[in-house]
Amino acid sequence: MLSRDEAGVVLFTLEVAALATVLIFPLALAAALGLARYRGPGKGALETLLSLPLILPPTAVGLLLLEAFSRRSALGGWLAARGLEVVFTWKAVVLATGVMSFPLLVRSARTAFEDVDPRLVGLARTLGCGAVAAFFRVTLPLAWRGVLAGTVLAFARALGEFGATVMVAGNIPGRTRTLALAIFHDSQVGRDDRAVVLAAVTVALAFAALWTTELLSRRLGRRSEE
Amino acid sequence: MIDIRVEVPLAGPDLRVEARLPAAVTAVMGPSGAGKTSLLEAIAGLRRRARGRIVCGDAVFLDTERGVDVAPERRRVGYVPQDAGLFPHLTALGNVRFGARGDGGRVETAIDTLDLRPLLPRHPASLSGGEKQRVALARALATSPRILLLDEPLAALDVELKERVLPYLMRIRDEWKVPILYVTHNVGEALALAGHVLLLRDRRVEAQGPPLDLLSSPGLSVEAEAGIENLLAGRVLAHDAAGGVSRVELQGGIPLSVPLAATRAIGTPVMVAIRAEDVLVSSAPMPGLSARNVYEARVEALEHTGIDVTLRCALPAAPSPWLARVTPAAVQALGLKAGQPVWLAVKSHSVRLL
Repeated sequence: MLSRDEAGVVLFTLEVAALATVLIFPLALAAALGLARYRGPGKGALETLLSLPLILPPTAVGLLLLEAFSRRSALGGWLAARGLEVVFTWKAVVLATGVMSFPLLVRSARTAFEDVDPRLVGLARTLGCGAVAAFFRVTLPLAWRGVLAGTVLAFARALGEFGATVMVAGNIPGRTRTLALAIFHDSQVGRDDRAVVLAAVTVALAFAALWTTELLSRRLGRRSEE
Repeated sequence: MIDIRVEVPLAGPDLRVEARLPAAVTAVMGPSGAGKTSLLEAIAGLRRRARGRIVCGDAVFLDTERGVDVAPERRRVGYVPQDAGLFPHLTALGNVRFGARGDGGRVETAIDTLDLRPLLPRHPASLSGGEKQRVALARALATSPRILLLDEPLAALDVELKERVLPYLMRIRDEWKVPILYVTHNVGEALALAGHVLLLRDRRVEAQGPPLDLLSSPGLSVEAEAGIENLLAGRVLAHDAAGGVSRVELQGGIPLSVPLAATRAIGTPVMVAIRAEDVLVSSAPMPGLSARNVYEARVEALEHTGIDVTLRCALPAAPSPWLARVTPAAVQALGLKAGQPVWLAVKSHSVRLL
């Protein structure tokens, strides 16, 4: 089965993907709600900008992140001066996977929010809810399927992120090596049998994530229809 | 007292309404697109671009000149849209409780007023149109609103459901003492429920005043042509199974025979509906008539509604006039004019018990 190092890689990958998903969740929901409700000029440009990481080569995104967070840049230098080293650490892995997963969650949540009748939100307001309370008591409960699907999609995307991660975090054993990077490494050094085992693990993880969502969705769906 | 002087930007011409609404219930009437729903939304605070002044009792909702624009959640307005607008993810109980204030006593009273107990665990998807409307009304009432805004609460309902929801509205009017703005197309509903009518046309106020005074105004007569009903409140007095009738006592002690309705317990309050064209008018007493219900009355006014003429007839004991619809030819033949004594006859079978 898995060696100790390989098990560590699996655990690290899960942790990083989970942390990235948790961190982007509030930001992505705010962006999705803004896009769903905003009707003014520049809406199309804004949407395109937010979706860009979906179509750019991940290595390009990784390169941009590397430039932005390297110690030579203003941001990277500012962070380094405060003792926060990002590039080529686990934080860079979280950053890269989070950035790549962000648009997936935004897209799916936005569609779900757009399907919520804005008149119901208005009614919640007349019934004494402030804008924030109306979001948590009406919009989110009515959009949760889309939000959940987007969250799982983002998590699954984070599990498999390769290009951006390798650029900004490198492929350092025991420090930044995720499953996707390990598969690449094993294959490169001729340990194809290990690469296949790890690939099988990714399949199992992705399957488990999607299946759990399906079950959860069905159970919650049934409850709300009773 | 509700004081409105408001401009609401809409697609097309803006809505401009200036009105002082004195009565407990105001019927907002007018053709589609006149701005009725937009007016309710402006009062509820859901039209953020509304400008002007809206004062409800001692609460200022909007005063653009002074920079006052109270958020919808702080206006305490009970708004019931035409489709009820229930939250689909909550049960009926969850909906009623959604905006409840206080210790829950209000919720219980609202549930009882609208007979919702058996519906409470159900989700909106499994409720009928009338049930949804009742839940939405209870949800609005449970917030202890300063004012109720009802957008055609009966329009989406078929006749049978209408007859079941209308009595609830009358109970709310009489027991809760909340001012109500009530959008309707139905002149009979306006006459039965409202003390004041605000008639809108092309996003302006065409007329306002007591409903009977507006009957002959052009805007209302179009609606009236579709049929006016006298809607009268009373209670069941007795059942006469052999005679095939039940006896009802209307407000003012006026007796009325209706088709046998033995399922209604003696003493229960009921509403009856009599179409204006089913009221026979005679200029002399009518001995030997088969109709069970004959009343002496006096013509108060003649209103031209469409091609027909609607007579406002005062019965000495009745709290409000009865309406009878006759042809202009009958007006000529009987020489009908204001102040003249008449006899009104109604067949038992022309009376519908609501």
